[in-house]
Amino acid sequence: MIEINGLTFKYPTQAMPVLQNVHLAVEPGTLTLVTGPSGSGKSTLLRCLNGLVPHFSGGEISGTISVYGKDPVSAGPAEMSDLVSFVFQEPEAQFVYDIVEDEIAFALENRGMPREVMAARVDEVCGHLNLTSLRKRPITEISGGEMQRVAIASALATQPKVLILDEPTSQLDPAGAAELLQYVVALKQQLGLTVLIAEHRLDRLLPFADQLIFLPDGGQVLQGVPRAILPKMTQVPPIVRVGKQLGLDPLALSVEEFPAIHVDSVQNEDQPDGPPDEQSLLKIQSLNANLAGQVILDELDLSLARGQVTVLIGPNGAGKTTLLRAIMGLTSSEGERRLDGYDMDTLTLSEVISRVAYLPQNPADLLFADSVEEELRLTLSNHNRQFDSDLIHQHLARFGLADKAARYPRDLSVGERQRTALAAITVQNPDIILLDEPTRGLDYANKRALAAILNDWRRQDKAILVTTQDVEFAAQLADRVILLDAGRVQFQGAPAPAFTQFPAFRTQTAQLFPNTGWYLPRDVRVDRISNV
Amino acid sequence: MTVSATWVAWLVASLILLLSTRNPIYLFVIIILLFILGARQARRKGRHGWVHQNLRFTGTMLILSALINTLFTHTGQTELFVLPDEWLLIGGPFTLESLLYGAVNGLVISALYLLFDVFNLSLSIKQITRLIPHAFRPLTVMTTVSLTFFPAIQERTRHIREAQMIRGNPMEKISDWLPILAPLLVGSLEDALLLSESMTARGFHARNDQPDNRLVLVGLILVVFAAFSGWLLRLFAYPTWISILLYSLGAVVLVVVLATAGKAQHVTSLHQDDWRRQDELAFTLLMAAGLGLIVTLVTKLDAGFSYTPFPRLDLPEVTLIGLCLSLIPGIPLLFKHHD
Repeated sequence: MIEINGLTFKYPTQAMPVLQNVHLAVEPGTLTLVTGPSGSGKSTLLRCLNGLVPHFSGGEISGTISVYGKDPVSAGPAEMSDLVSFVFQEPEAQFVYDIVEDEIAFALENRGMPREVMAARVDEVCGHLNLTSLRKRPITEISGGEMQRVAIASALATQPKVLILDEPTSQLDPAGAAELLQYVVALKQQLGLTVLIAEHRLDRLLPFADQLIFLPDGGQVLQGVPRAILPKMTQVPPIVRVGKQLGLDPLALSVEEFPAIHVDSVQNEDQPDGPPDEQSLLKIQSLNANLAGQVILDELDLSLARGQVTVLIGPNGAGKTTLLRAIMGLTSSEGERRLDGYDMDTLTLSEVISRVAYLPQNPADLLFADSVEEELRLTLSNHNRQFDSDLIHQHLARFGLADKAARYPRDLSVGERQRTALAAITVQNPDIILLDEPTRGLDYANKRALAAILNDWRRQDKAILVTTQDVEFAAQLADRVILLDAGRVQFQGAPAPAFTQFPAFRTQTAQLFPNTGWYLPRDVRVDRISNV
Repeated sequence: MTVSATWVAWLVASLILLLSTRNPIYLFVIIILLFILGARQARRKGRHGWVHQNLRFTGTMLILSALINTLFTHTGQTELFVLPDEWLLIGGPFTLESLLYGAVNGLVISALYLLFDVFNLSLSIKQITRLIPHAFRPLTVMTTVSLTFFPAIQERTRHIREAQMIRGNPMEKISDWLPILAPLLVGSLEDALLLSESMTARGFHARNDQPDNRLVLVGLILVVFAAFSGWLLRLFAYPTWISILLYSLGAVVLVVVLATAGKAQHVTSLHQDDWRRQDELAFTLLMAAGLGLIVTLVTKLDAGFSYTPFPRLDLPEVTLIGLCLSLIPGIPLLFKHHD
């Protein structure tokens, strides 16, 4: 049993407490979902349970915490590690060793466990998480989903009572995320684990959660069964939104729970298959790219048109990032790349980037100046453009950063940092914008802000290409969809077929209403539905 | 052949060989053997292009070293051409002897690099760090983390460099590289912080029974004293046996200190080296070859190891013993690498 009473915590560098008078209780053997906007204290709350806060972070703490009878504040993280295991957000950054089984055994070696017992434990967790065939593999050679499983196996090797996962699915494709969650749920049932998961995206997790903890940005922490908490939250997954639209009581949390309904015949509107050739601002033909002797892009064709958001989806390792890098000329490739009719092979990188902006997966890599304003000024200076203070402030205002101009970019929140990077790469007013996984780690509010920026660019007639694993976000924005798998285009065209016909990329709405062409809550026509 | 001790024996024997010869023919044999062995190990690890990369490195090293030595060393009797003496540093005769001497240096540097690269390919990071005594557990983990971090930092540098280029930084002048430092440093520190947080959460250094630090300190002072005084006595021509006695005393104290401190660490390892018949054979062969090499060097039995092209270029001497000993780096080729 986990009990928290009157917990208040303030980081040493902050003026206000991030957690204030929190009271919570978690029953043993349950799965608890912890959610809330960025900066609301989800990770801090979870770190309090194994003593990393305040022992590792410093800061002022008051109130009481009890985890299976132990107080993490007095015991400290080393002692709590027998009881509580923690899997961090970026698994690749938490590995000590280079081989899977060595990594899993790390915590056991630290405990001086006899070799035979240790080998048996490693066998056991590898069996639970289907890692037996990967035991001898270098960690750098396994996929993102497999890395998450290795991180969980490392955490479980010590046989803890509590398993904490901090945004475990943020880097995974829909299939990988679903598979990982199945493992976690099976572990909870088989081992009687108490599981706490911090997550922004609730759609995948709600069906498995025994309780939901919502930490608002200020205000009272909400705790209870998901059906009791969800109606009080403003940002909810599509299935809950649709349920609310239809007046369901109780709310359904999964497609399986959704009541049988009948939809009167719906006339599907035919959508254009893509922009005609003459509108294409960027045209790629027969693009091939290899990395370490492996084919990554295979005879790939695509085009981007003005005033359109094209969303690139596909499983992890499909070649999405390589495609964006190949378009920019950052990775060697063969094939035809034409920018507004010009052969891109004849253009210098400087000429390309004056018209094409590219946001890599980690926006922090772009930031190095002392202030947000300085970041934009440097881009202009690199492009030999005149510095215009008014222009910079107008540009910052478009990204909701007007009051952040003097701030040090790396001190900003995840969403603000990303918007700073976006502002820095677009201040020269490019025609084409390529974004690689821009929704990673963003909460609902920041995703909404990003969507507003993309819509604004669409209105300005920019051609936009976005890669994302967030199907619901993609569905909201896409004018066109490209589905990439194993380096080949599997589908290219209007969003409706992409989000309704391919099982791995079907939105929740599409799953609820098959054969209707509806794939977003706003598509649902209540007047066509009967038998609710 | 997978046992760490066998590979260490191979490394030490090959290193002694490499550092004791300047004979270009032997060095050539050593490099060819290292290439064959390295290609096998790289194939096993899926490192495509290893041979090509290292051929490029060896070629570059050979040319650079030969050119630099020819430019700045003007000794030797076979003149190729002459530059005016008043040309600072490079003025004077350019000789074939200097060219060859530089090339031999290039061969030695390339062979050393290849030797450590093959060693790195043959053992996992954990096998390498397991060679560090338990007493230095924190050092072991630190080494492991550094070895794991190095490729990560290389990758991060590439990402940041690209990120800067797509913001219009041409990355041509040294000053263009400055913007890489801030994100690289901050990003690496963030990663290091996360890693240490993860290690703490997994009980690293949870419950070590620390040995009495004073005893360890006294022991280590004794070791340093014994080694230093042994060296000092040899320097002033005192009987050698006194120095050997002091060195031995220091070694015994060091082993005792390490064993005592190591026991207190309570650390175990998932793996222990699995000595198979071929490992035993390889180890015995390497020890015998190493011993033969040391005897050859100590007794100054002329095996053609020493060679200098100065004052006038001459063909290097090749003896059967020398040729046989230069095959030491190729001993692992006689055995299969089992997993």
